[in-house]
Amino acid sequence: MTGLQEVSQRHEGELEAAVAKGKPILELRGLQKNYGAVQALKPATITFLSGEIHAIVGENGAGKSTLIKLLTGVIPRTAGEVFWQGEPVLLASPNEAIARGINAVHQEVVLCPHLSVAANMFLGDEMNRRGVMRKRAMTNAAQGVLDDLGFNLPADATLGSLTIGQQQLVATARAAMRGTRFLIFDEPTAYLTRQESAQLFRLIRRLQGDGVTIVYISHRLEEVFELADRVSVLRDGTHVGTRHIGETNEAELIALMINRTIEQIYHKEQFALGETIVEARGLSGPGFADISLSVRAGEIVGLYGLIGAGRSEFALGLYGRHRLTAGEVFWQGRKVEIDNERQAMQLGIALAPESRRDQGLCLNLPIGLNINLPVFRRLTRGLTISRADEAANADRQIRDLQIKTPSRRVLASAMSGGNQQKIVIGKWLSHGAKLFIFDEPTVGVDVGTKAEIYRLFARLLEKGAGIILISSYLPEVYELADRLHVFRQGRLVASHDYRAASHEDVLAQAINA
Amino acid sequence: MSVETVESGAGPTPKRGVSILFGLTLLGLLVVLWLLLGLATSAFWTPNNISNVLRQGAMTAILAVGQTFVIITAGIDLSVGAVVGFTSVIVAWLLAAGVPLWLALVATLAIGVLIGAFHAFGIVRMGLPPFIITLATLTSLRGIGLLITNGSTISITNEAFTSFSRADFLGIPSLFWMVIVVAIPAYVFLHLSRFGRYLFAVGSNSEAARLSGVNVNRTIYLAYILSSTCAAFVGLLLASRIGIGNATQAEGWELQAIASSVIGGTSLFGAVGSVHGPLLGAFILATINNGANLLNVNSFWQRIITGLLIIVIVYFDQLRRRGSR
Repeated sequence: MTGLQEVSQRHEGELEAAVAKGKPILELRGLQKNYGAVQALKPATITFLSGEIHAIVGENGAGKSTLIKLLTGVIPRTAGEVFWQGEPVLLASPNEAIARGINAVHQEVVLCPHLSVAANMFLGDEMNRRGVMRKRAMTNAAQGVLDDLGFNLPADATLGSLTIGQQQLVATARAAMRGTRFLIFDEPTAYLTRQESAQLFRLIRRLQGDGVTIVYISHRLEEVFELADRVSVLRDGTHVGTRHIGETNEAELIALMINRTIEQIYHKEQFALGETIVEARGLSGPGFADISLSVRAGEIVGLYGLIGAGRSEFALGLYGRHRLTAGEVFWQGRKVEIDNERQAMQLGIALAPESRRDQGLCLNLPIGLNINLPVFRRLTRGLTISRADEAANADRQIRDLQIKTPSRRVLASAMSGGNQQKIVIGKWLSHGAKLFIFDEPTVGVDVGTKAEIYRLFARLLEKGAGIILISSYLPEVYELADRLHVFRQGRLVASHDYRAASHEDVLAQAINA
Repeated sequence: MSVETVESGAGPTPKRGVSILFGLTLLGLLVVLWLLLGLATSAFWTPNNISNVLRQGAMTAILAVGQTFVIITAGIDLSVGAVVGFTSVIVAWLLAAGVPLWLALVATLAIGVLIGAFHAFGIVRMGLPPFIITLATLTSLRGIGLLITNGSTISITNEAFTSFSRADFLGIPSLFWMVIVVAIPAYVFLHLSRFGRYLFAVGSNSEAARLSGVNVNRTIYLAYILSSTCAAFVGLLLASRIGIGNATQAEGWELQAIASSVIGGTSLFGAVGSVHGPLLGAFILATINNGANLLNVNSFWQRIITGLLIIVIVYFDQLRRRGSR
């Protein structure tokens, strides 16, 4: 059996000598990137110290992605200098960055889902003997690394059979094996469950213990405070400050990022509750069993639980995407059968699904087409679509939701996470509904956009709609939901009124601790 | 690709006009080809030869339009050549059996509808990949056609039917008019109606389309039925032109249709395509074949040139797409 140390030693000699802990390992001096006339990153001077965990926070479009791409050699800089261990470096290509020991783990796993875990870990760096791959040796070595890191994952499993969170751990182990000196994490926990996040954090601390410098990019400030030694804030492409974690607090960071207070983010207005819009009685289906709950006009019903606890499955079942095996649905007091999505829409249910990429958007089609997709029938005059109405409807949503795009004809793929989420929501605003189901509406969305989305909830409630809010981020459902249901392993295990239980209790119910 | 990419202002320029521009480029290419061939050989710009090019291109063009609907949904229809041969047999057989002409035409088109519905059934209900189900009908339909004719051909004696393909209207071959008859409703369908939008949405992300209330299964049925019906229509035109029904006709036309579609800017990954693109693509291919014949270029070379052309045009299209990102 071989551990991480041994495997990564294959690369030890190729890398330059490490810098003493606490001394600058990577220095940016006036680093700058322009796209045409747009300054994506204004001249930034940041020093990364050897062996530290350095968090970078900022809203979408603040320049975080640009910074990562510059450091990993994906794009060339416009101006400025980068010093690696005191020497000026170009970082002209990804290969140069990797050769110097700079690596990145991305939010979405960029590996081969059809190959085994071991094959992925050694991809591009296979062990050979006279040109023949040593498959068994690689599997053993990979298993050694996984065990050493305490992952409890089989090295011979197909990568695609693992959860996204587990795949992320594999991607991290892969980077760790290559003798990385400087590792950038880009929103690594966006798709992870709490346990998986905890595992990842242990791994990050361990890498830090081994002398690796970590750059950690996240929207979740509580993670930053849990992990980081120092934190740098970007706003609108400007580096607005770097703080020691002990000398700052959440309020100050948010102020630096957006000039807005925490109370203004979780914007909660109480509305008089109206009639019951929907009631589920003993609903069962694939991934959930015996769920009973109801939603009234003017009410936010929160569904909290870990990913895979059955919340999204319940929502899809209610929406007619999955066949129900038992139970009844009452819509405004009347018993209804919902066999497909179109029937749900006709009743007045809207669903903004969990994954924008897989379920929410046609990424390689224009924003306008995405927004209008549920309402083309309404936009049709005779045989053809009214071009004027089509344009007007898309432009109205873009304006109302402040989707930052020069035109409705831009492809949805060109938008940031926050703006993509707004497109998904815009679809359902133009369709109109009585019951809005928002499944993880703020994953990968910056603080400013989050606040906008929460304000939008209030607008919908004011008009007499009801909302089901599904989230794995406890503060969100905790602060917003009038009634909070906790899901665990496909069942509804507890229900609380607004702020009636403590965070700890809700969390314990969700993980059965 | 990271989720967080472009923010306001840094966004790509609006896409309007890009597909028009690409269409104009193809049209320009066609005009340049015609001018060059006119200079190179005096035989090109003769009424006879121009009619010939229009006739040759017409049938591929109609197939390519149908094929494009399918490709936009991220599918493929390999059966269209076989459907052309098969339906030429059906119409010849019906006419030989004394069925009235109008009924023979309607019945043949209905067979096209059924074949398309069968493809969609295989994809939607049986979960077969489009490549497989249409590959299966490609070989089976030729077999059934050969069984019906016992391996030979059925001659068509109906003069009204066979004279159609030789007729002109306003000096333009009737076959070319058929392209217009197909292209105008096809354009309205794909670019102006909501069903066209649904084809693009299904090709881009069928789950997102489904959750937005698009009837995905019906959209797939529609695409494959339209493709097979276009092919059955071409089967009628071919039978009229050659005056026989023969199951081995139109060998390899599915590749011509796919090539025309791709040259016309359709993406095999789905969600990108138009009606005018494949039409121009089909006539570019027809012009190259015609020109090569006139210039006495070995017919083997024609195939090589076609292959190279596909690579060059699609490569430039890729560059353009990347450039506009």
